[in-house]
Amino acid sequence: MPWQRETFKKIKQIPREEHVLPGTTLCAGCGGLEALRLAAKVLGDDVVYVNAAGCFTMLATYPFTPFKGSWLYTTMGSAPAGAQGVRDALDVLIAKGRLPKNENLKVVVLGGDGSTYDMALSSTSGAICRGLDFYYFCYDNEGYGNTGMQLSSATPYGARTTTSPCSLQHPTGTMQEKKDIFEIWRAHKPPYIATVSPRYPLDLEEKFARAATFAGPKLFLALSACPTGWLYDPSETPEVAKLAVETGLWPLKVAINGGVTHTYIPKRKPVEEYLKLQGRFRHLFEPTKQEAAIHHIQERVDAYWEQATAEKS
Amino acid sequence: MQAVRFHGRGGQGVKTASRILGAAAFLEGFRAQDSPIYGAERRGAPVSAFTRIAKEPIRERGLIAHPNLVVVADASLIQDPAARVLDGIDDCTVLFVNSPLNPDQLRAQTSLPGRLTTLDLTGIALQQFGKRGAISALLGAVAGRLVGLRQESIREAIARELGDLGLAASAIERNQKVALQCYDAVPVMTIEKGAGPALVAAHLHVPTYEPPTRGSARISASANSVLRETGGWRTFRPVLVPDKCNGCWLCFAFCPDGVISMTKDDKPVIDYDHCKGCQICVHECPTEALVAEREKEGGVAWRAK
Repeated sequence: MPWQRETFKKIKQIPREEHVLPGTTLCAGCGGLEALRLAAKVLGDDVVYVNAAGCFTMLATYPFTPFKGSWLYTTMGSAPAGAQGVRDALDVLIAKGRLPKNENLKVVVLGGDGSTYDMALSSTSGAICRGLDFYYFCYDNEGYGNTGMQLSSATPYGARTTTSPCSLQHPTGTMQEKKDIFEIWRAHKPPYIATVSPRYPLDLEEKFARAATFAGPKLFLALSACPTGWLYDPSETPEVAKLAVETGLWPLKVAINGGVTHTYIPKRKPVEEYLKLQGRFRHLFEPTKQEAAIHHIQERVDAYWEQATAEKS
Repeated sequence: MQAVRFHGRGGQGVKTASRILGAAAFLEGFRAQDSPIYGAERRGAPVSAFTRIAKEPIRERGLIAHPNLVVVADASLIQDPAARVLDGIDDCTVLFVNSPLNPDQLRAQTSLPGRLTTLDLTGIALQQFGKRGAISALLGAVAGRLVGLRQESIREAIARELGDLGLAASAIERNQKVALQCYDAVPVMTIEKGAGPALVAAHLHVPTYEPPTRGSARISASANSVLRETGGWRTFRPVLVPDKCNGCWLCFAFCPDGVISMTKDDKPVIDYDHCKGCQICVHECPTEALVAEREKEGGVAWRAK
């Protein structure tokens, strides 16, 4: 049965109230902040954010915070462990009657792709295995953005970063493929995993609203278009985020107890349209067009969707 | 020794400008040193970079506390205490500000110390490139002119530094051309090489150990980030043309900072104290009801309170 939105059908159903207030020093046009802002409209204010070091460090640089709720800062590798401590403390307080049940808080991990795909992978694996009741929000901008865009295992093939530059030996820049963290998480069979995009606000809101009905780990991957690291004008963030989905490079999907459903089936524009908008892929087009590399990226996308449709039928 | 300090906002290219200046000086046989200040370098946030140029080996390291020349890529930084643009400036210091105002007009607004010279690099870049973007080559050329470097070395340094960043040959050529126009256009101030203030060792604070319960930063205020205004980040401001607005909510939906709210009759209201000027709303508006207007100093532009 095709996936349908039930709660969020029209754009004017996006809640008016803001739960991530302005005044943060994140970049102008930050796709990750946009995704978090939309998510927070569903999560509300009764939240403890456990923030792994990364770009989102800039959310709450002392002495300022954009949240009405709490924010706890951890190292890049340990946010899910921090979330376990916070969850346990809340549970103990409720059990002892020191915190009324109706004042319970949600525990939400915020981590970038460097944290999520690399450093906190074992910590996240542990938290999922223990069935920790928490949200995991990954803002994936495909590189270590806060330190000037170094290669992470979320960086896709063909992208240029400061540590995977385009060179004679490596004309495509990054040679590795983006790690499939969705499948790694899914192998743990948590109750809820979803990919989201800031350019598809209703899809995003709906997924967060539905996740609330599940106890246990609820994990989200937001492809966070990044003007600073991907090298495009900040005004183009929604356009870049949209093309990532419309080309099929970033599939919007959920996995509920391990079963995958695609929530949006794109008509699949050529990947070139997405690549050529961004400076990090410019070397694939100039000075000579690297047809083989572009073809390779297209083939990977095509293979993904062929398999996805075959599994469905 | 010439000590040059660059101030700008992340994305304007001050780091690359300091490299262009350093490379140009090196090409002319000088010793050169350039370094940016590392922290959270991000679009719009204050960034600085330093270049030292000398005939003799340069022993000094680190930040430049007493510059001979200060290059300011964004005039709104002058009022931002976090940017520390005016640190260590005395009456001998030459101050270049990227501004459409002439030095007298600018001084009337900001009561700046030092000897002032200006040129509207942003205006020139908009006119020549047709879009906003980094002005590193322009800043580098202006700084090169003010410290007395030659055109050819600036041209070569631009090619090297922008080439390293992966810019296409055509883009580099455009940058060279416009940069050299700025080189010729900037009103020159000779930099006096006075004795300079005596060096004082930086004061070192040694923190005492506190247990985590006392030593960890803790904020009990909630949602106070609005106290920090990010309106000064803008080069352009989005302005509503009410008649064209069809009340579709897209600008509200896509504003990353949540600075657009919708009135009861579905018109957007923009919080200019916090709008960073990313122009997503202008870009996404289906009816062109939001237009980008360049921020003007002294006009309606945002001013630090």
